[in-house]
Amino acid sequence: MKTFVGLFAASALFGIALAVAYWFVAHEEATGAALLGCMAAALVFTAGYAVVAERSADLDGDDPNEPLERVAGEELGIFTTRSAWPILVASCSLLTLAGTLWSPALAVAAGIALILCCWRLGAESARV
Amino acid sequence: MIEWLTATNHKKIGILYIVSTLAFFVVASLLAGLIRAQLARPENTLLDAHQYNQVFTLHGTAMIFLVIAPFGIGLANYLVPLQIGAPDMAFPRLNAIGVWLFILGGLTVFAGLAAYGGAAAAGWTAYAPLSELTEGTGAGQDLWFVGLLLVSVSTILTSINLLVTIFLFRAPGMTMWRIPIFTWEIAATAVLVLMAFPPLAAVFAMVLIDRHLGGHFFDPAYGGNPILYQHLFWFFGHPEVYVMILPYFGIVTEIVATFSRKPVFGYVGMVLSAFAIAGLSLGVWAHHMFTTGAVSNPFFAAVSFLIAIPTGVKFVNWIGTMWKGSIELSTAMLFCIGFMLNFLIGGITGVMIASPPIDYAAHDTYFIVQHFHYTIGGGSMFALFGALFFWFPKIFGVRLDERMGKWTFALLFAGFNATFLPMAFMGLEGMARRVYTYPPIGHLALLNGIASFGALVMGVGTALFFINVVAAVRRRVPVPPNPWDGYSLEWLTASPPPEFNFHELPPIRSRIPAWDR
Repeated sequence: MKTFVGLFAASALFGIALAVAYWFVAHEEATGAALLGCMAAALVFTAGYAVVAERSADLDGDDPNEPLERVAGEELGIFTTRSAWPILVASCSLLTLAGTLWSPALAVAAGIALILCCWRLGAESARV
Repeated sequence: MIEWLTATNHKKIGILYIVSTLAFFVVASLLAGLIRAQLARPENTLLDAHQYNQVFTLHGTAMIFLVIAPFGIGLANYLVPLQIGAPDMAFPRLNAIGVWLFILGGLTVFAGLAAYGGAAAAGWTAYAPLSELTEGTGAGQDLWFVGLLLVSVSTILTSINLLVTIFLFRAPGMTMWRIPIFTWEIAATAVLVLMAFPPLAAVFAMVLIDRHLGGHFFDPAYGGNPILYQHLFWFFGHPEVYVMILPYFGIVTEIVATFSRKPVFGYVGMVLSAFAIAGLSLGVWAHHMFTTGAVSNPFFAAVSFLIAIPTGVKFVNWIGTMWKGSIELSTAMLFCIGFMLNFLIGGITGVMIASPPIDYAAHDTYFIVQHFHYTIGGGSMFALFGALFFWFPKIFGVRLDERMGKWTFALLFAGFNATFLPMAFMGLEGMARRVYTYPPIGHLALLNGIASFGALVMGVGTALFFINVVAAVRRRVPVPPNPWDGYSLEWLTASPPPEFNFHELPPIRSRIPAWDR
């Protein structure tokens, strides 16, 4: 987990350096500076989250000498092997987007179906 | 059928990605064949200008968005949990949503062929305001934007899933500094996707607002700015090149180490160079915009040159891995050597056109087409075939024929260079890209004839590969779990692996767990 934090912290510093360098070189060109600024901000946010998350993380994968016996039977959660909802969510997403362009009625119908599918997907995830 | 439509297991989703990208690859290759048939001789009339525009737009779109990038993501879906000892991806349902958004998005792009006015025809970059002119680009262009919007959302969702899996689902003992280089490269790719793809989704949404809801983001007549489109597109577009290459760097690293019978030389350098490439690639987008005169050319040239350094580190490490190794020239290894030779040409020409004075001369000529195809076609595509030969036994439990594989390599390598090397000279003679015909001046007829013949040879090589796949599946000769004596964790489970990957996890005490046994 420390590697994860270091990775994003280094990336954030790089992003800030790049944005500042670009601002000094081409501050009259606002779009590029804004894009790099947003990129740096996103990296800072991720690095900040990583720092907070790292405090409570205790990952078996981080210990180079972790004995397998110690983690035997550990609860990893249940991995579902099939669900009908993902393909329905994807199909409804496509229809909602297409409907937004060509048919408001289709957009509304597909949008409602999308919400229902997401709701059922969430309910299923909570169970299994 | 229902089993595949409702699958959430990472291996089935990985196979869905791989099979669908190969299907798109076949279509995109046929489109490339049409392009080369049209350009085989001067003033040809096989296709008219609008048909040609549709063909090269769909070819570029499919190869970039629906083949090279998603194949890497799809292979990662299959391999990453196996390589780190996880039972599945962190979010199986999200994974399934991602693959179906990708497949439906790709089909939506091609659905434009049935639209009134034909498919999208504004190039794979779909520059606004060209792509906003609805009289020139009709519903097919809309379907292109809708399809790729779904593909970009799919890529973002899958990248989040991959990152969470890599950071949190590693088996005991599989520390970050023990995970295979392929998985590291995927982590770098996922970070890159999270930075670069949201602007793409945003800019596509903006164009759709312009086209349908009366927006004017890119229309100068109403205060809009076409350069804004280029900024947002290329802020995605250049990192996308590395989304299309970093996973393949990982593939080459794994194959080269396995067939040199040596651990990866310079493991830490490999990891750091991947992130250096990813980071630098976010600061070079406007080298595609040198000739607009609206960007800081020295800044973008300097950062572009810098990318050559971490890329060079990778070459040194591959050679270091092979150095004094016990090299076995399997088909997969041959494809990796082909990758290195081709990518070197693509990389060096890339450094050339990162220089604004050269770029001003080469911009929008066939020199650029040559450069791009050497990096992505000669680079990534060769690694893609290498990956298929290498991991086919693990994924499908049967091995592809090595003799046919070596013929495939020979045909593809010869055909590829015959097709794309002449394009450098066409560019130097001033032939513009994206033209549907050309006059019989200079050496253009000869060079184009050679290029089209090379494409035919590549077509034969590709057909031979698919014959090999069909023959292997029909023969069904089972393979052992580790047919190549690979070193990473996936080779310690059955071929194909059981539903949750490992019946029993082996102890992981180094970067080469399979060779520790």
